[in-house]
Formats: sequence, structure tokens, C-alpha cells
Amino acid sequence: MDVLRFYGDNSREALGLLSQHVVLVLASTLVAVAIGVPLGILLARRPRWRRPVLGFANVCQTIPSLALFGFLIPLPFIGGVGARTAIVALVVYALLPIVRNTYTGIVGVDPAVREAGRGMGMTDRELLVMVELPLAAGVILSGIRVATVIGVGVATIAAAVGAGGLGVYIFRGVAVVNDTLILAGALPAALLALGADGLLGLVERRFVWR
Amino acid sequence: MALAGWTDRRIVGSLLLATLAGGCARSDRIVIGAKNFTESDLLAEIIAQQIERRTSVPVERKLHLGGTFVCHQAITAGQIDGYAEYTGTAFTAVLKQEPGPGADSVRRLVSNEYAGRWQLVWLEPFGFNNTFAITVRQADAERYGLKRISDLAAIAPRWKAGFGYEFLERADGFAGLARVYGLQFSAPPLAMDLGLTYRALADGNVDVIAGNSTDGQIEALRLVVLEDDRHYFPPYEAAPVVRAAALERHPDVRRALSELAGTIDDAEMRRLNARADVRREDIRAIARDWLARNLP
Repeated sequence: MDVLRFYGDNSREALGLLSQHVVLVLASTLVAVAIGVPLGILLARRPRWRRPVLGFANVCQTIPSLALFGFLIPLPFIGGVGARTAIVALVVYALLPIVRNTYTGIVGVDPAVREAGRGMGMTDRELLVMVELPLAAGVILSGIRVATVIGVGVATIAAAVGAGGLGVYIFRGVAVVNDTLILAGALPAALLALGADGLLGLVERRFVWR
Repeated sequence: MALAGWTDRRIVGSLLLATLAGGCARSDRIVIGAKNFTESDLLAEIIAQQIERRTSVPVERKLHLGGTFVCHQAITAGQIDGYAEYTGTAFTAVLKQEPGPGADSVRRLVSNEYAGRWQLVWLEPFGFNNTFAITVRQADAERYGLKRISDLAAIAPRWKAGFGYEFLERADGFAGLARVYGLQFSAPPLAMDLGLTYRALADGNVDVIAGNSTDGQIEALRLVVLEDDRHYFPPYEAAPVVRAAALERHPDVRRALSELAGTIDDAEMRRLNARADVRREDIRAIARDWLARNLP
């Protein structure tokens, strides 16, 4: 209950960090979708690229965050300290589930359905937009859902490069072994992850037909 | 920030450490811990190897545990038997005293309090003082003629600072420093991981950081440490802190560790850190090498 008292005393700061956190997750997930979905479609069209690209995304997933920040700080445009660097790192971590699920979803479309589309005289583009993407939407959305939920947790490391977010409370708490502070960061992050999961679950159910 | 609820934190902290350390310190061995930075690991390794080569007591290492507070929780809970602590850190961060008195009185007070409150023994210091190093780029120091921290006050409003979380939270950290020197930066200091602050400074993302005066990166990255001309920081003499129970059980451990007293000065510690941080040598090898050469 120390946590509630803490929020009472620091409500403005806590809300500020919470909104920073949400912005970090939203921005990075949107960028990851903008890169990951087209990349996944491309892989479905060019199967030979599948192994190197997914392999690269896999490797990115394993880079420790502090090491990644270390690489990013000296880089122009995407580096430095602050929100931009954190978002770049979060995009790197969010790519894998989105690319993989997009690829899997599109490859998993029944070839008979694709043939039927072609038989109706659809172009590649029409086939993609009218047949493949709608049928793959469930798998793609669940990839985005996984990426978002992971992103809420991973975004706590943004505090290591001065980008703020709920990780600030966790880092401060760890530095002085103050469990109230650690919980003040960890609890809302967990709730945020649950909320994001539930919300995207609704979206999934709404837009997917089988 | 409120630092109340010490007992709750101790219980939760011990639970956390129990899982982290994987079991208790057993009586037939000595467990040596370290904080999560190179120098602490190095000193722990020197302590551990010195015990191994002078006594028959088996030594277990639990290095890179966490910050000051994690090590303190671990040793008071009996999860580790010893680690290298700094007098000034114990004085301000653990005992929560206001910075002020000189080296001898800090050491005496810390030693008495630790013995009385936690049955912990401060052995003789290693011989160096690892103070907070308010650090800037050498090029800036030359351009603006910066030598002392008080020179910083004039330029601070145009500058950006980046500090580790511990420095921002500690009683002998940023808030007091800003007050004593009248520092007002362009924005609140950027809070970030301590190790990344050096990189951020070297690459021009921030203009001033608080490192440690014995860090190897200071020379390697062409940085300059400003003099603490108003003596804000207390002395931070490193010394082994060991549980009294462990020393009673193994009197030869105390004899072995007393040989380390006064053997490492500031420059020597900086060299040892540079070997680990800049030249990427193995910490065990550095410790072995140093012991063989200095305490044959």
C-alpha cells in the first residue's frame, strides 16, 4: 500500500512517466508494423530471403538492451540519448513477431483460394489486398499483439538512455533498493501490458473472420 | 524520496537476494561479493585470491551483484561474508549522514557504526580514494578554462548533464552538489545507465557527467575531472568489509587481508581498471598478476 501512497504524493510525475511509456510503446509498435508487415509480405513472395531476414530478426532479439544502446549512442540520426534511441531499440525488438507472423499468415493461405482468385482474373495486388491479407489478418494481428505486450515490458529499459517511461521508477528503485519505487514502475507496466493485450484481443476478434 | 520502510525492504530484499545468490553462505567457506562495476569486481577478485593463496578456506564469488544497497542487504543478511566498500558511501548512502567531516573521522564513525549495528568489520583501506568525478570533455575544459567544479556554474545554464540513477538518488549526490556549487543546468539532468554516461559524454550527447575518479575510461576517452574545490564529496576510501563472525571463524583470513592495506593508490587503481575496461583483460588474470607482483 506504500505504492498507493507514493502515487498520491507523486501523481503528476507518475502520470508523466506513464504517458511517456505509452508514447514509447505506441511509436515503436507503429514503426515496427510499418516495417514488419511489408517485410513479411516480401518474404512470402521471395522465399529465398526468408532464412537470412528472419535469422537477422532473431539475432536482433538476443542483443542485450544496454549493448544495443551502446552501439546506438554514437550513430547520427537514429542514435544519441533520449526517446529516439529508445524507440529505435524497441522497434528492433518488436520486429521479429510481426515479420514472422505476417510471413506465416500469408504463406498459410489455402492455395486453392489463391487459385480461385487468379481464376477470377485478380492481379497480384488485388490478390494481396482482397484475399491474402484479410485471410492472414488473424495471424498478423496476433503478431502485433505479441509485439505490443512485449514492448510494454521492454520499454522499461528506455530509462537507461534518458528516455523516461515507467522504467525510471524501476531503475531508481534498484539503485537504492527501494521496493516501493520498483513496484511503482513495475505494477502499472504490468497493468498496461494486460490492457494492451485485452484491447488488441478485441480488435482481433472484431476484424477477423474465418 | 522517502527512504522509510527499512525492515520491509530488508525482508523483500533478502528474499530477492536468496533467489539471486542461490542459497546461504555456508560456514565452511567465505563468500565474497561485489557491486556491479569493474573496480568492485576487481577488488573482490583480489580479496578472494588473497584468501585462496594465503589460507585453506574455500572462497565462493558472487560478483556484480547490484549497487551499494544490494551488497549491503546481502552482507547484513549473511548471503555474502565480505565485499569492498567505500567509507564515504557507507557514511552517506548507508548510514545517511550529512556530508562534511574529514577522512579519518568518516572512517572511524563508519567503522564504529558498522560494528555496533551489524557486526561488520572494516579492515584497513586499500589506499586509494575513489570519489565522484565530475567529468567533462578535455576540449571543453580547454575552451572554457574549466578546472574546478565551481568554474562550471557560469556555463551550466547552457549545458546538459547526464547522471546515473544512484548519483541522482544518493544523499551525497546531485541535489547537494547543485546546491553547494549553485549549478543550474539547461534542463533537469538526464537520468541514464551509469556505464552509458561515458559514451554519451564522449559522443557529445551530454556535456557533464558524474563518473568515478578511478575509472579507466577517463584517460582513454580524453576526458577531464574537475576539482571538488568546495570539498562537497566525503572521502571514499575503499576497504574490505567482512562479517565479524567469518573473521572469528577464520582468523587467518584477517591476517591475509591485512596484507592488502595501503597497497593500491589512485593511479594504480586507475591502471587496474583501465586494464579491465579499456584493454578488456580478464579480471581474474589482472588480480592474479597484481598479487603475484605486489604481494609475493
